Amino acid sequence: MKLQLQLLIPLILSLIKGYSQSIEDTKNTSLANQTFLERTEFKIAYSGSIFWNNGLNFGTEYLLKETIKVKNRRGSQRTNSHQFLLNGNLGFTTNFATSTDTGVFTNYGITWRRTNKKGKQFSIEFNPLGYYRSFLPETYKVSGDNVKKVFLPGRGYYAPSISVGIGKQRKNKKITRRYFNINFMLRTPYNAGALPSFNFQYGYRFNFKKKKKNEKID
Amino acid sequence: MKRLINKYTLLLVSVLATLISCSDDENLENLNNTLFVRHKNADMPAYIHGNASEKVFLIILHGGPGGYGLSYRGSTIKNKIEKEYAVVYFDQRGSGMAQGSYSKDGINVDIMAEDVLALSKVIKHKYGNDSKLFLMGHSWGGTLGPATLLKDQSPFLGWIDVDGSHNVKGLYQEYISNFKRVAAEQIGIGNDIEYWSKVIDFVNGLDSEYNDINDMYDLNNEAFFAEEKLEESGIINTEGSQDNNVIFKYTPLTLIWNVLNTQSILDENLFRNVTYTDRLSEITIPSLVIWGKHDMVVPLGFAQEAYDNLGSSKKELVIFEKSGHSPMFSEPDLFADKVIEFINENK
Repeated sequence: MKLQLQLLIPLILSLIKGYSQSIEDTKNTSLANQTFLERTEFKIAYSGSIFWNNGLNFGTEYLLKETIKVKNRRGSQRTNSHQFLLNGNLGFTTNFATSTDTGVFTNYGITWRRTNKKGKQFSIEFNPLGYYRSFLPETYKVSGDNVKKVFLPGRGYYAPSISVGIGKQRKNKKITRRYFNINFMLRTPYNAGALPSFNFQYGYRFNFKKKKKNEKID
Repeated sequence: MKRLINKYTLLLVSVLATLISCSDDENLENLNNTLFVRHKNADMPAYIHGNASEKVFLIILHGGPGGYGLSYRGSTIKNKIEKEYAVVYFDQRGSGMAQGSYSKDGINVDIMAEDVLALSKVIKHKYGNDSKLFLMGHSWGGTLGPATLLKDQSPFLGWIDVDGSHNVKGLYQEYISNFKRVAAEQIGIGNDIEYWSKVIDFVNGLDSEYNDINDMYDLNNEAFFAEEKLEESGIINTEGSQDNNVIFKYTPLTLIWNVLNTQSILDENLFRNVTYTDRLSEITIPSLVIWGKHDMVVPLGFAQEAYDNLGSSKKELVIFEKSGHSPMFSEPDLFADKVIEFINENK
């Protein structure tokens, strides 16, 4: 164990050193002059597991911070942008076969996204504030001998989530990006514990940004 | 942009319209209904299918604990029994697609038995007090069935025990003696000698009394594997085709998560303490005991024990000669005939 650490620590340090040496320039993008709509993007996506749950997810992202990093690696220059965004989603999902797993969810958090020169993106979305409301079909509540039909049956759960995804930026388009996320959501308290669930999200981001003439989008 | 919004609005409207238009078919001759029973902080789905023209409902209690109701909706239950009577496939608390919010103390045999009684009240509320209910339990459902009937058997016209584990406490020792007996028989007739010799070594290496839950799980897993071996040897019929669509009705992760959680809460107490053998005499409604002769999971010895101890004046024991733990799949026609005959006699 000790030997492994002795090997691992220099390796990590050399990687960090190498990484830092490769960064030639880092600058923060000035966002102060951008309007709310210029910093905001909207998204719509299929959300589900294809065979079981299917639904739609609507969301919005607000750019908080953007850093452009220019690196020199193996003789070529690479420009990557790193963004931190506020993120909010509203979606619904159902299993059509039995309607036993229908729900509406909303969640809020922060997204980190890296975009390279070719427009390929990698993002991690962490939504600690989440709520899932299930909707059940015809439901009867039994208390002793009393049976009563429940109005709008379902249950509310605290439902934080995390998504990891890839995407592609589309230059000079209203639909600015398409993306694919794998989403992990936890519903709690669920039965005597918590319920994990995985979903795919495939969708598009778009904005209402007014295009300036000769605007160049990387 | 307008075109884009219109496109997505149209998509959203069509999805919502599809959702809203998914109404249940209330034709009593061909019920196809899913309803939930809310009881003690749990919402449990009951999938009701089949012919309810006579208002006869067969409630099936699934195995596990932690199994799922629709696992039985295939083969003969769908194709034959549903043609005659309505079948209620019930996801028990903490199982299948049941949801809710309760502590670990909120799931135990007593509460789950009350859930079954709550289901019976819902069926009578929805379809009328003249509804005729029959209760069937398979495997763990054969634990939950007696627990329910011992609380209140008045809602039910009959009890069908299918390879049911009314004596979970006695299962460990019965496993060991049954494995030894079956292994000796199989070695005697020259079937898969290497495997059955290993089985004897395995059970000989275990404590003679239940001490460790992992030993119990090992025995249980081995029992299923042993049945596969008996199937390969032609002693048990190969199980017939089941409803493949059932896989789309349950989210697999939910199913697996629920079964693991529920078993982790219930199993230790079940294996150590739960037996209804001494109280079966209190069950007096007509009873049908169905057992696979080669059941390795809940061995045949329990069939006679159930039959002998049931207090019903009208009771029958039927041994399925070519079956293991699931006669509804290995001898489907005979199974349907026996169940329909029992209901016809007692409805």
